[in-house]
Amino acid sequence: MTQEAHGGAAVTPVAPIEPGPVVRLLQSVLPGVEFEIGQSPKDEVVTIPRDDFSRVMTAVRTDETLAFDYLRCLSGVDYLTYLETVYHLHSFKHHHSIAIKVKCPPDDAHVPTVSHLWHTANWHERELYELFGIMLDGHPDLRPLLTEEGLGYYIMRKSHPLADIEEWQEDYLKTIDEAKAQMAAATGVAAPIDEKALKIQMAQQKGAVMKKARDDARAQGLSPEDEKAAVQAAIKKFEEEFTAGQGPAPAAAPAKPVDERAAKIQLAQQKAALITKTRNEARAKGVSPEEERQIVAEALKKFSEEQEAAPAAAVPIPAATAPAAPAPMDRAAKIQLAQQKAALITKTREEARAKGLSPEEERKVVAEALKKFSEEQGG
Amino acid sequence: MAIETRLPAESDLETIDINVNVGPQHPATHGVFRMILTVDGELVVDLDPVIGYMHRGNEKLPENCDFRQVIGYHDRTDYLAQFNTEHCYVEAVERLAGITPPERAEYIRVILAEMNRIASHLMFFGAFGTDIGLFGTSFMYAFRDRETIQDFFEEITGERMMYNYFRPGGVAWDLPENFHERCWQVLNSVERGIDQLDALMMENEVVLARCRGLSPVTPDDAINWGLSGPMLRATGLKHDLRRAEPYSIYDRFKFEIPTGTQGDVYDRLVVRMEEMRQSAWIVEQALDDMPDGPIMAEGLKRVLRVPAGEVYMRVESPRGEYGTYLVSQGSDKPWRHKVRGASFSNLSALRAMSVGNYISDVIIILGSIDIVLCEVDR
Repeated sequence: MTQEAHGGAAVTPVAPIEPGPVVRLLQSVLPGVEFEIGQSPKDEVVTIPRDDFSRVMTAVRTDETLAFDYLRCLSGVDYLTYLETVYHLHSFKHHHSIAIKVKCPPDDAHVPTVSHLWHTANWHERELYELFGIMLDGHPDLRPLLTEEGLGYYIMRKSHPLADIEEWQEDYLKTIDEAKAQMAAATGVAAPIDEKALKIQMAQQKGAVMKKARDDARAQGLSPEDEKAAVQAAIKKFEEEFTAGQGPAPAAAPAKPVDERAAKIQLAQQKAALITKTRNEARAKGVSPEEERQIVAEALKKFSEEQEAAPAAAVPIPAATAPAAPAPMDRAAKIQLAQQKAALITKTREEARAKGLSPEEERKVVAEALKKFSEEQGG
Repeated sequence: MAIETRLPAESDLETIDINVNVGPQHPATHGVFRMILTVDGELVVDLDPVIGYMHRGNEKLPENCDFRQVIGYHDRTDYLAQFNTEHCYVEAVERLAGITPPERAEYIRVILAEMNRIASHLMFFGAFGTDIGLFGTSFMYAFRDRETIQDFFEEITGERMMYNYFRPGGVAWDLPENFHERCWQVLNSVERGIDQLDALMMENEVVLARCRGLSPVTPDDAINWGLSGPMLRATGLKHDLRRAEPYSIYDRFKFEIPTGTQGDVYDRLVVRMEEMRQSAWIVEQALDDMPDGPIMAEGLKRVLRVPAGEVYMRVESPRGEYGTYLVSQGSDKPWRHKVRGASFSNLSALRAMSVGNYISDVIIILGSIDIVLCEVDR
């Protein structure tokens, strides 16, 4: 799921592209500028050097023969080695369009603003600064537009991962599972077999089998029909094995050590606390949003450096032994209790319905059963 | 312990501007949108729009999806003109990949997109009526007909809102057998409804009194602020992407481009009302000409790899120019996927249009932009 995985191949331009009519016009109006001509199925595309940017943009807006009075769209693109800003322009006077692009390096990301030429650029540039971190020199108002104040990182850059978020969700689910396992070890009562988890696991394994069978078939060069048949045969075989062995080793998933994840969570919590604290302090001082963001970023950087300098030792690792960590125990117990309760409710309700009771009576029966259950638990 | 009260002397009193917060949760803001108004009495002297409540990474997520999975995200940008947004995206992919969809698919797309335009404008008139104080009446008239169209779409796609029906190279499946019959039926009932709505709204005393002459926009300003769609045409500019840069098969149909004269709120209503009739006309022509045949281009792979390149595809959505800037690097996922929402640019001009008007009029001006916040925030 990493960003690099699917975009690595760089595009190599082939033969030099012939300039179209609009680009030729541009070249005649601005003779000193070096235009790198690109291609698109809809518009003519040129890339210009950043040093000439202001001059070119003013010219395309004001020159009578060009007269690009309408800024359609302003986008940023992250090509890993450089950032690019793309201006799609249209002229209502001459009915022609062009895309002008300008590159800037990621560590020196700034482009002169065009919001004084086209008012519509104002919001587009605010968005660009906020999501790509490209500074717009001379922009009148660079407050964040779409995200909450002081995000501190640029979400549309390719370096901002999407995968981490999924990992965190997995973390949460695994924490529950492991708490259950710990409880089972501590109390000696086996945790109830989670049918749903088993099903999910089976589906995952099935998916892997299917993929493998398909890849094999393709590698052999089979026809689509044969490929289908091969995949189905593989699935059938897998299902038979699964039911026969009650799942090939449900515990096959490699158990990651508990403390590592707990440490990760704790680290994130510490980080969040630090951000909140620093931000509040900065606000109390009344600094501008830009300065505030910088302060937070610095504090975060310092924090990570400290962490790296003193690995592991800086993070208090919760004891690996199960009884010493009562918090997850509590939660797991609570979850189990809630599950038991839910099962009880379902059971009682179904019984009541089978007997043909009225909804009021049914509710009463369920309430009584619940009361009895809690008394038993309390006693 | 009497509390001593004393009125300040008149010389101690000072007049200050106060801030009033409108939204984010208020029906008049058409979604989660907040305006910080600075008012001098009833007069708005400054306005700061606050958006982003619906920002959910609708540009980032598609960069991690395969080219066909992205279609669903387009439904969720402009959720009142889903077919138009899908049309934009699939055309962008087709232009990059060099796919030519079959005739029948093109006709299906045009019919559905134009019906969707009618539905979207109906939604506008319903909501706008509540903004100016015709609460309920216009809403009921407009929604009766919009619901007919929604049902019709549901019969075709199986979904009420998020259709996910267009595909690069064609459409997902063929139309139901009774499509022609049903489409004429829906069209006739909707056209009757448009006439009724016209009679209800356009000659209405309240509408005339409150909308005529409110916040006029000159063509130059409109272009500079990046307005598009009915907002732009109301100023008198005859600019419609279906005619200016014909995409799909729009060059085959006859239709008028309605324009206004002053660019005020009333002109925006006039343009939208007339556009619904023009859309209905386009659907009629397309229904007459629609050929039989395949609905999907031949020879498409199960995993669609789009050759490296870039395209900024734009279509005329009910709100204006809806664009997709698509960059591919030759893999099965878009490298960059930017959505240019028409209401994003239209909304950015709200401050310039509103300052100097009364608070109640600002609500009308906002309503006349016809914003969809999901498209603004992405």
